Amino acid sequence: METTEKNVTVSARVPSLFTWIWNFMGFSWVGVAVFAIFAVLPLIPPFNREDLVRWQIGAALLGAQAIAFDFTAGYIGIVNFGFAAFVGLGGYVSALLAVRFGVSPWIGMFVGAFASGLLGFLTGALTLRLRGIFAAVMTWFVGLALLGLTRNLTDLTRGALGLNVPALLETSSNLPYYYIIFVMMLITLLVLRAIVRSHIGLAFRAIGQNVEAARASGVNPTYYRVLNFTISCAFAGWLGSFYAHFYGILTPDVMATGKTVEVLADAYIGGRMSLWGGAVAAYPFVFFLEWLRTSLSQFAGLNLVIYGLSLILVMIYYPGGLAEAYHALERRLRKDKQ
Amino acid sequence: MAALAQAFAPYRRYLNSTMLTIGIAVVVALFVSVRYGPFALINSLVLGGMWALIAAGLALMFGVMNIPNFAQGEFFMVGSFTAYFVYSAINNALGKNPPSALAALAPFVGIAAAIGVGAIVGVLVEKLLFAPLRKRTRENWVLNAFLLTAGLAVVMTNGAQIIFGTSFRGITRYWDVDPIQILGVNVSVDRLVSLAIALVTIALFWLFLSRTQTGRAMRAVAQDEVGAQMQGIDLGRIYLLTVALTCALAALAGGTLLFMFPAYPTTGIKALYVSWYVLILAGLGNVGGAIIGGFMVALLQTLTTYFVGEAWQDVVPIVIIVLILLFKPSGLFGSGVKGIWEQ
Repeated sequence: METTEKNVTVSARVPSLFTWIWNFMGFSWVGVAVFAIFAVLPLIPPFNREDLVRWQIGAALLGAQAIAFDFTAGYIGIVNFGFAAFVGLGGYVSALLAVRFGVSPWIGMFVGAFASGLLGFLTGALTLRLRGIFAAVMTWFVGLALLGLTRNLTDLTRGALGLNVPALLETSSNLPYYYIIFVMMLITLLVLRAIVRSHIGLAFRAIGQNVEAARASGVNPTYYRVLNFTISCAFAGWLGSFYAHFYGILTPDVMATGKTVEVLADAYIGGRMSLWGGAVAAYPFVFFLEWLRTSLSQFAGLNLVIYGLSLILVMIYYPGGLAEAYHALERRLRKDKQ
Repeated sequence: MAALAQAFAPYRRYLNSTMLTIGIAVVVALFVSVRYGPFALINSLVLGGMWALIAAGLALMFGVMNIPNFAQGEFFMVGSFTAYFVYSAINNALGKNPPSALAALAPFVGIAAAIGVGAIVGVLVEKLLFAPLRKRTRENWVLNAFLLTAGLAVVMTNGAQIIFGTSFRGITRYWDVDPIQILGVNVSVDRLVSLAIALVTIALFWLFLSRTQTGRAMRAVAQDEVGAQMQGIDLGRIYLLTVALTCALAALAGGTLLFMFPAYPTTGIKALYVSWYVLILAGLGNVGGAIIGGFMVALLQTLTTYFVGEAWQDVVPIVIIVLILLFKPSGLFGSGVKGIWEQ
C-alpha cells in the first residue's frame, strides 16, 4: 500500500518537474522540432557532404555568437560593437595556452571564456555608466584597441602572419566538430534563455526599455548591465576558442569590425529579444551566402553586399526580424482556431 | 591681490574646462614642434584639418537627425575614388607636357567633383534609406539608424570591391612642384594646400551655420524639431541638406587626402574611426567641439607616432580617450544635457 503511494508521488513529480522546466523555459514544440532538424541535418544525404557540413559548422558558430550578442543588444539595448574582439580574445587565449604551454584545448576553452568575461567585466564597469550610443561606441573602441594590440604584439601573437592552433580533435572528419559546436550553441541558448526568463531577465528588460523607470523601481542599471555584458562576453570568448581550434589558424582579422557586423546582421535578421532568432536565421543565411560565394566567385564580396542589404531592409521594413514574423504567424493561427 | 582678482573677474568665464583643454593642447603642440621640429606640427595640422571636416559632418548629422553615422568612412572612399578618376582622366587628356596653369587647376577639378558626387550620394542615401526609415520607425530610432548605416557601410565597401577590385589607386602628389621651405623643413605643396582647403572649408561651414538663414534653420532643428517645424521650417529639406553636406564634407576630405590615402574599398576605415574618436572626445552632436577635437586627435596621433611608434597610432589615442571619458562622460565639450539618443 505504502509503496504504491510512493510510486504515485514519484510518477506525479517527474512530469511536473518536466512541465515546470518546460513552462519556465517557454519551450514550444515548433522550436524543439526546428533544433531537432538542425541536429540531424548533417546526416541527411544532400547535407552530409563534407563541404556542406563545414557550412553547417559555420552556421552553428554564427548562430551561437548571435545568441550571445542578442543577449546584450536585445535585452539591455547596448550594441556591443566590439563583440568580435571578445570572440577573438577567447580564441587567442586558448590558442596561446595550447601553443606555449601545451594546455589541452578543452581546458583552454574555459580559460578563454574566463579571459573574455574578465575583459567584458572591466569594459562594462568602465563604459556602461555611459549612456546609450556612447556605450556602444566605447565597446567598439575597446575592440579596436584589442585588435591593434593583437596586430602589434607580434612576439606573442605572430601578428598578421597568423597563429597555427592545434586542433580540438584528432580527426579529419567535420561531423564531430559539428556536434561539438551544436551542443555549444544549445548550451548558450539554454543558459541565456534561462537567465532572461528569470527575475534577472526582468531587470534586463526593464533597463532596456527605460533606464530611469528601472532605476526608480529599485533596479540598479549599472549592476545589471555589467552582469549582462560579462556573461555575453564570456560566451563570446568560449565560442571564439572553438573557432580557433576548429579552423586551426588565427589572424588578428577575427577581431575586425566586419566580423561584428556579420554577427549583428544575423542577430537582427533573426529578431531582437528572441535569442533563438539568430540561431534559426543563421542556417539558411549561411547556406545562401556560401552558395553565392562559391558559385559566383568572380564577384568577391557579393555575399557581404547581400549581408548589408538584408540588414538595411530588415531595419527599414521589419525591425522585429524573423522572430516577430513567427510570433505574428502564431497569433494568426491561434485566432483562426478560435 | 584683491584688485588683481577684480581685474581678472570679467575673464573668469573663460577659465573653464574647454579653454583649459585647448590651452593644454596648444602647449603640447608647441612643445612637440620645438622638440621634434615643425614637421610634426604641420603634419598634425594637415591631418587635423581633415579629421575636423569629417567629424564636423558626423556631428552635424548626429545633432540634426540623431543618426550616428557609421558609413562616414565610405563617403570618404567615394571622394577618393571620384577625385582619382576625374584627376587622372584630366591628366591623361593634358598629355605629357601640360600647360602649367591647367596642371595646377586639375586637382581642384578632381576635388570639386568629389564634393559634387559626395553630395549626390548623400541625397540618394537620404531619399532611399533615411526617409523610409523615418516614416516607419516608431521607437529605437537611434539604434535602428545606426544599424542601417552599418549595413550601408558593408554594402558600399563590398560594392566598391566588386566594381573596382582591390587594387590601390593612388597618386604620389597632386602638384608636381618642389616642396616649400618653412622654418627649415621641406613641406610638400600638397600638404599646405590641403591645410588651406580644410581651413577655408571650416570657415565657410562656420559662416553657413551661423550667418545664413538655412544654417540657422539647421541649428534650430538640431535644438528642437517640433519648435522648428512650428516656425515654418521644412524638416525634409533640412534633413536632405544635412545628409548632403555631411557626405560632401567626407568626400572632400577623401579627395583632398588622395596623396596620403589611395583609393581602394576599405580606405575609409581609418577616417571613420578617427572621426568617431573626435566625436566621442568632443561630445556627440557638438560641431564646434568636433572641429577643435579633430586637431587634438591628430596631435595625439602624431605624438604617438613620435614617442611610441606608427603601429600604435590607434591604441594609444583610444586609451587616452577612454580615460578622459571616465572623468568627463559627456565628452570634453559636452554640456551634460541629455539628448534623446542617450536614453
